[in-house]
Amino acid sequence: MHIPDGYLSLEVSILMSVLSAVFLVWCWRKAKANYSKSFASLLAVSSAFVFVAQMINFPIAYGTSGHLVGGTFLSIVLGPYAAVLSMTIVLLMQALFFADGGISALGANIFNMAVIGGLSFFVVRLIAGNPMSGKRFVLGVFVASWVSVVLGALACGLEIGVSPVFSQAGGIAVTVPAMLFWHVLIGLGEAAITTAFTTQLYRLQPAILNGLTLFKGNAH
Amino acid sequence: MKGYVKALITIVLGFAILEPFASTYPDGLEKVAETLGIEEPEPLWEGLMPDYTLHTVENPYVSTLLAGFGGILFVLASAYALGKAISKST
Repeated sequence: MHIPDGYLSLEVSILMSVLSAVFLVWCWRKAKANYSKSFASLLAVSSAFVFVAQMINFPIAYGTSGHLVGGTFLSIVLGPYAAVLSMTIVLLMQALFFADGGISALGANIFNMAVIGGLSFFVVRLIAGNPMSGKRFVLGVFVASWVSVVLGALACGLEIGVSPVFSQAGGIAVTVPAMLFWHVLIGLGEAAITTAFTTQLYRLQPAILNGLTLFKGNAH
Repeated sequence: MKGYVKALITIVLGFAILEPFASTYPDGLEKVAETLGIEEPEPLWEGLMPDYTLHTVENPYVSTLLAGFGGILFVLASAYALGKAISKST
């Protein structure tokens, strides 16, 4: 879902960069001073996990592949605000060193994957209920990770669809349904992997799931 | 701390094992562009290791493996710095 250089018009690039910058400042403020010192190691390792997971594409259907984005996963481990920042680091490194996602599309990619992915946390919380029930938590993780990919694809479809390169090919009337079609399927992969990893971590190391403390309404 | 080192070793090993099995099919967005007959424009910035390869290494597995290791180090360092910046100063 990483948008390369050349797909977005200048206006869309600027708009998405400003929008993402606003979200990043907000997340920075919300995350700041809410964590103890040892949090840096957890943030580093979970970001590295997401970076690696994004390199392992899995085949979906009809010669198309997808990979874990990992936003919902990060939000359960780090909490929603630090998850947005963590994913932004991954996207920044991918654009800077690997030409995976264009430099000019970074703002859009941050919005589609980091902002939507990290904030999908609130979908988990909505479904898991308060006090949290185990079964509903699993369902919440599954639904939220699927929704985060589908919404990210919707945003991506709109962004490229209104830009000249794709508007000549039919614009959003073509790009949005096409992006949704593939990502409804890719999202199922995201949901399966995220649910498997989170429930396993919940069983083994519930203490490192910082996001869970936000379920009781107290920010650490 | 020991737990994080273990987790990191697991991530690196998992990557080394799974990397050759990663699908080379286009992803969702690439597929949409391909279907519409849109070619991917030249990137404005190529980066050091475009498409997760080192051009100095011929073996494709080793090339992507090393690029991946480089990426892991960059992500670890910058995410750790971010973590230090947002955590409590005391």
